[in-house]
Amino acid sequence: MELQDIFYNKVEYVETASGNKVSRQTVLCGSQNIVLSGKVIVQSDAIIRGDLANVRAGRHCIISKRAVIRPPFKKFSKGVAFFPLHMGDHVFVGENSVVNAAVVGSYVYIGKNCVIGRRCVLKDCCVIEDNTVLPPETVVPSFTRYASSPGVCIGELPECTQDLMLEFTRSYYQHFLPAK
Amino acid sequence: MASKDSVKIAPGAMVCNECELRGDITIGSMTVIHPRASIIAEAGPIIIGENNLIEEQSVIINRIPKGEQPTSTPVLIIGANNVFEVDCHSEAMKIGDNNILESKSFVGREVELTNGCIVGAGCKLTCPEVVPENTVIFGQQCTRRQQMDKPPPQTLQLDFLTRVLPNYHHLKKPFVKGKQ
Repeated sequence: MELQDIFYNKVEYVETASGNKVSRQTVLCGSQNIVLSGKVIVQSDAIIRGDLANVRAGRHCIISKRAVIRPPFKKFSKGVAFFPLHMGDHVFVGENSVVNAAVVGSYVYIGKNCVIGRRCVLKDCCVIEDNTVLPPETVVPSFTRYASSPGVCIGELPECTQDLMLEFTRSYYQHFLPAK
Repeated sequence: MASKDSVKIAPGAMVCNECELRGDITIGSMTVIHPRASIIAEAGPIIIGENNLIEEQSVIINRIPKGEQPTSTPVLIIGANNVFEVDCHSEAMKIGDNNILESKSFVGREVELTNGCIVGAGCKLTCPEVVPENTVIFGQQCTRRQQMDKPPPQTLQLDFLTRVLPNYHHLKKPFVKGKQ
């Protein structure tokens, strides 16, 4: 099934040389610590907290409206430290989701209104359904589907998940067009 | 900003310029307010104590109750050492000390939080009640249990944030007597 074209206001978005499309209505704190590897879409009112630690997003990531990407912190015997947040390629983060994970692998789908707790590890090829709350330090294995609050595994994913996510994020990027 | 707004920020508090403060608000020392948090004193003043941590997209409202004519101006009081995590929504008129409102939690106007309570991610409290001390509310059914000890204070994280935030953000100036 072909995705519908999504039109955006050309004035609102900045397109970089590597093909990143970033809305002007976002809050990118500490932008020198944020790496968007190319063809990443960051939609309006999303927040990326680069001031706390480094944030790296791979190619073809989509960060939807009002999503929050926030490096996790850990308490030590003296002081706290914020960990860098690495996101793989072809990751989709739905609207209003809060991502506090330490690592998000490649080909990961995070639905709407999710809360990914502190220092979670999402391996490659997994799906977090809408309205899921993952408790801190959850490890989501590859090819699993998580849902509900607190998040539990509700099923497995087919082996072609990688191709599906590749296709999905690519076509999303291709159909994310400036309004004429 | 409207002229009747008076925001009093005690010395040592970190209030980012990008957050929304509306109405008569008093912020205690060592409180950290992240960008994009909104504190709206619609019906009456809001008083926030010391060592609180208010993260991005969290909303604290002193709302005018529907269809009621208030006899006196209601004051919203928040104690010390509370944490308001990303995207939480609080209308509670009285919040004690050491409470944690996790991501996407909702606390209604008629609820009173005492001390050491944790409202889990995605939990909603709407009925009029006084939540007993050290209550933990969690999961999809908003299950409750009593915690033996109170949650640890976030002083280490606050120390870290007060060091880091001024490097990346424009802060609102603390209120100094004799000036303004």
